[in-house]
Amino acid sequence: MNAQTELARKILSEYDGPPIRVMEVCGTHTHEIFRLGIRSVLPKQLEVISGPGCPVCVTPAEYIDEAVWLALEKNVTICTFGDLVRVPGSRSSLADARSRGARIQVVYAPEDAMRYAGEHPEEEVVFLSVGFETTTPASCLALQKAEEAGITNFSLLTANKTMPGAYLAMGDSADAFLYPGHVHAIIGTGLCEQLAAENGISGVAAGFTASDLLLAFALIVKKTQEGKPFFVNAYPRVVTREGSPAAVRLVEEWMEPCDSEWRGIGIIPDSGLQLKKKRDVYDARIRFGIPKMDAARPTACRCGEVLQGICRPTDCKLFGKACVPDHPVGACMVSGEGACSAYYQYGGYING
Amino acid sequence: MDNEKFVTLAHGAGGRQTGALIGNIFRKYFDNPDLTADDAAVLPLDGGRYAFSTDGFIVSPAVFPGGNIVKLSICGTVNDLACMGAEPLYLSCAFVIEEGFPMDTLEQLAQSMAETAAETGVRIVAGDTKVAGKGQVDGVFITTTGVGRIREDVSTSGALAQPGDAVLVSGDIGRHGCTILLARDEFGIDADVTSDCAPLWGTVKAALDVCPEIHVIRDATRGGVGTVLYEIAEQSGTGINIEEEKLPVQDAVQGVCGMLGLSPLYLACEGRMVMVVPQDRAEQVLEAIRQIPYSKEAAIIGHVTEDMPGRVTVTTEIGGKTLLPPPRGELLPRIC
Repeated sequence: MNAQTELARKILSEYDGPPIRVMEVCGTHTHEIFRLGIRSVLPKQLEVISGPGCPVCVTPAEYIDEAVWLALEKNVTICTFGDLVRVPGSRSSLADARSRGARIQVVYAPEDAMRYAGEHPEEEVVFLSVGFETTTPASCLALQKAEEAGITNFSLLTANKTMPGAYLAMGDSADAFLYPGHVHAIIGTGLCEQLAAENGISGVAAGFTASDLLLAFALIVKKTQEGKPFFVNAYPRVVTREGSPAAVRLVEEWMEPCDSEWRGIGIIPDSGLQLKKKRDVYDARIRFGIPKMDAARPTACRCGEVLQGICRPTDCKLFGKACVPDHPVGACMVSGEGACSAYYQYGGYING
Repeated sequence: MDNEKFVTLAHGAGGRQTGALIGNIFRKYFDNPDLTADDAAVLPLDGGRYAFSTDGFIVSPAVFPGGNIVKLSICGTVNDLACMGAEPLYLSCAFVIEEGFPMDTLEQLAQSMAETAAETGVRIVAGDTKVAGKGQVDGVFITTTGVGRIREDVSTSGALAQPGDAVLVSGDIGRHGCTILLARDEFGIDADVTSDCAPLWGTVKAALDVCPEIHVIRDATRGGVGTVLYEIAEQSGTGINIEEEKLPVQDAVQGVCGMLGLSPLYLACEGRMVMVVPQDRAEQVLEAIRQIPYSKEAAIIGHVTEDMPGRVTVTTEIGGKTLLPPPRGELLPRIC
């Protein structure tokens, strides 16, 4: 254990103040906090809530329905990150569609989908463009490369989301945010400073190693005791104030903000990205005339409340019974980074 | 759900769904007193106890750094027999070959098979050859079946793990899975990793020579070391605690896992044994198997506990306690 980690552990173990609620909003944080056993070394008063940070979890059922419709009705090849394949739509998942003959290709990067389209000119290829600030630039880059290569059978079904709107919408749910290091490596930290100064929303930008995370929690404990809204960048080796202007510019060239539905939470204004009007030809919704989907939601699923920190995964009646990773009811049980899945896999009951 | 109506790749991944498939379909119909849940059946025949096991191989690609499908097919069955404390004696092999498969490649494979068999001292005594139409199989699929004589003084089973026992692995973990993953070139990652594919009777023999009362020997294959630990915990009704810092993992494997969000504990091995050994004999066993070339990197990684029965816990690098997530389905299809 290095000196920084030891100091952080000392601060955490000596904390005897009032309860502090910390919301993490990044699937990788959710997962790493469990994997590293972080909760077992945090003070009892410090409660960690998993907010809406897993892109798969916040993608609404209607989006899956759109993708299934494209695959089955329009015979489109769907290229997607693997996690989305098993997310339940309102009637079926992409995995179900695959067993009925739909072409579903799992890819690891949007560029792979673009390349697949180039190699299969006889197929219409749609990439399921989900994710936050970290993955959206890669989707835009794939479009740019498709344009350069004259690939015309490639388009996106967008459900890209941006974090700032979510921070504002979730501001009251916690005493401090554990800001996702990767997102802020792209968009910088100006926004976090502004949230502290103007909205009274506190947080610490955090990395992903055990030592990064302990430092971030120790800073939250220290700063909360001072009683003023705060922002600290605890991941300066990757996160800068400016972020990555090139990535931001690339996204701005292709996409524009739109209102966006977050599964279980509802519509958050200006929290999504859609393709610009002049990019219509790459927009699968327009290209294939996708009809509006109305989703029949499973009523007992409490994913929405889980994502807002209103309840814990274990408070849901379905958790571990009707809803398990092999047969997920809600999206939070699908992705390895989803809060319910993490609680289930790591046995939330021993980790608090 | 379609998951239950149709066989999915997850049913072949060696995890919980594979177990459920076997339980719900095969065990239901094949049930008899000699049917085993271990790596090989133990058959009480005249003149001693014999281990009997069979294994099919469909790995893609068929040739990979550190091995190929035929080496795998010998090692897989030999290691299953070794797990029961049996010296591998005889093998049969059945080939299903795709129409159009190059004859000279087939000959190379047969040669490689003979070499691996010779190294282990096992004889290939029967075989079968089938050819399927183009596209009906992918290249070549192989099934090997083996028989071995179990040492008289040895009795191993997943059910025999006892609280206090030490848990050993015979080498650094996850290399086979990592190799196959990189060989498929789906991730655009280059790393210098070769498969751990190896026949392990030598390692097992060395361990049993110094400690015949070893409680459990299991080869970590498809599901990796993590899956084996869960199987042992469940079969014996104990808990297993492993110390993250003591896990032998090559830097390159660790790096690939970091990039892809995988755990080396759930990457396949094809030449690694997990052994559960009485605590006071563990160092002795470790020293003995480290003399064998295929198990130089062996390590004691944890111990069996009374608490958390059926579960595997991890003491992390910061001294935190967490669960090892139970094994899940499809990580990589056609890993072996």
